[in-house]
Amino acid sequence: MNTIRLANIRRSLGFGALLLVVLLAVNLYLNPARFHPAAWGTLIGLAAPLIGAALASTPVILSGRGGIDISVGPLMGFVNAIIIQTLFLKGGVESPFVIVPVALLVGAGIGAINGFLTTIVRIQPIVATLGTYLVLTGITLTIVPAPIGPAPQWIKAFAGPLSIIPLAVIFLAWWLIRRLPYYDLLMAIGSDDRAAYTAGVDVTRVRFAAYVITGVFAGMAGLMLTALIGSADPNIGQTYTLISIAAVALGGVSLAGGRGGLIGAAIGAIDIFLLQSVLTAFNVSTYVLQVAYGAILVAAVVLTAVQERANRRERNA
Amino acid sequence: MIKLRTWLASTNGRIFGAFLIAAALHLAGTLMIPGYSSPFAIRAMLVIASLLAVASIGQTLVVILGGIDLSIPFIIGFANVVAAQLYGDGWNFIVVCLLVSLMALAIGAFNGFVSRRLDIHPLIVTLGVGMVVQGCVLLWTAGFPSGSAPAAVSAFVSIGGSAGPLPVPWLVPSLVVLATLIILIMARSPYGRRLYALGSNPGAAPLALIDPVRMWTITFALSAFFAAVAGVLLLGFTGSAYGDVGQPYLFQTIAAVVVGGAALVGGRGNYLGTIAGVLVLTEINTLLIGLGFQPAAVQAALGLIIVALVSLYGRERHVRSTI
Repeated sequence: MNTIRLANIRRSLGFGALLLVVLLAVNLYLNPARFHPAAWGTLIGLAAPLIGAALASTPVILSGRGGIDISVGPLMGFVNAIIIQTLFLKGGVESPFVIVPVALLVGAGIGAINGFLTTIVRIQPIVATLGTYLVLTGITLTIVPAPIGPAPQWIKAFAGPLSIIPLAVIFLAWWLIRRLPYYDLLMAIGSDDRAAYTAGVDVTRVRFAAYVITGVFAGMAGLMLTALIGSADPNIGQTYTLISIAAVALGGVSLAGGRGGLIGAAIGAIDIFLLQSVLTAFNVSTYVLQVAYGAILVAAVVLTAVQERANRRERNA
Repeated sequence: MIKLRTWLASTNGRIFGAFLIAAALHLAGTLMIPGYSSPFAIRAMLVIASLLAVASIGQTLVVILGGIDLSIPFIIGFANVVAAQLYGDGWNFIVVCLLVSLMALAIGAFNGFVSRRLDIHPLIVTLGVGMVVQGCVLLWTAGFPSGSAPAAVSAFVSIGGSAGPLPVPWLVPSLVVLATLIILIMARSPYGRRLYALGSNPGAAPLALIDPVRMWTITFALSAFFAAVAGVLLLGFTGSAYGDVGQPYLFQTIAAVVVGGAALVGGRGNYLGTIAGVLVLTEINTLLIGLGFQPAAVQAALGLIIVALVSLYGRERHVRSTI
């Protein structure tokens, strides 16, 4: 029983987990000071927005039928702009008890719009969220035409010693969701929505909820982004779009839906972060960084696919 | 009424709808903005639309196959910079074009082969390969591409140019010929029939002796090839090399294909639709900029309009009707 479970975990994490171990070792060797336990808070704070973006992208991808949300990055930027410009600088609101709920509600709202467009209007997800992507980027640039600061003091603490907390909250939320029947329905429609529909699952509603969850997580990721940059910047959010989807794929989440989970997505994101870190330690140019990014991404998905094939053959034999 | 609705939901109906919207947008622009229909403005719009149309050929083919190609903007930038650089180093331009095309075909073939053979989502493969390609170009040029386009290419795409008696540069009539060829090939040739067959039913097509891996390899190679053509044409249009010149084309090609009535799940759509989509996008862009919107507002409005248009006639089927 236990070995089967272990094998399952190994299979679902695949190449991403192996890469994580290797990269972590290389990083520790190259730059022990940066990875010293005393610096973990800052380190996690640096990686948090990317991890958050990857976690946020996962629920909709799990829901299948081309489910994808490319508006996660711009949504993070939008939340960042609303918090700093509208609430803090213009409205004078500083209390976390207002700012955090607003960020999550904005996320849920945009997630609901995406969900409405993809499940009820039934526009192909990549097109619908491309629409939200463009609208959010445009609005963010109108609210905050140029980078502006500062941020409330308390939020900056979440880029330092408290940086693990927002990520822990997301994982806790997901852990609770996994305890609900909803999770099984989500994975069922992700693997085969037609079969799930004939079995009586309300496919539209389950998928809609996945978009809302993604929105809320993205709102949280927006808070992490705000903590890290300590200001409002209209041009940072959208840079997370493609890299977070890459992280999700690297973490063994199937873009066809129904396979993978948040841990895999987080591992994929940490892989990308550690890779950045290694290449920076070698002091290479950002161009090499980009080549390495792309090459490792392709290599990782190829190796994962090859491994999966081998596993399937093993099971059939 | 019901007949009309079924027809509007068909591919031809969607394409007709898209052309109608482009015409309506043009009419609105002419009424609201003085000089919107002036010969120069129309010429500019036709050239910009033609460039987008070339870049969207590959996306159309790939989407009908049931895939997606995110490497198009990177290949455009790659062709743009490499062509300028090599030409600037004194190479013969024909040789440069051949070399760039061959490299693009190879990159595209890799995309298609890996995606299909190993069953990996093309989104990830094309994105990763695109990043590698762009990184290599940046490394090679150290981030500062040099060189320029030969005069012939510039004249071919110049807004002020003319093609014989026609008051448009050669790009526009050439695109019309190319488009006709592509539409014919897609509708009449064995390749076209295989493309639609594989896109509408990937499970059944191999039983009809269609080799999926071969089709994906060929189609993605074609996609990269046309992206490279767009890159070289853009070199003539802007005059100097710029690695990020293709970036706006990432989402625009997808939007054009979808507004033109193709379904991203494959098997539906055609290049005439994409051309209608290209016209709609170009009209919207020109109209909003002409009305004095800031670039940020233009982008937001573009997003709203894409969603509104697609919800009008690009809706997917409900799960219950797919069983």
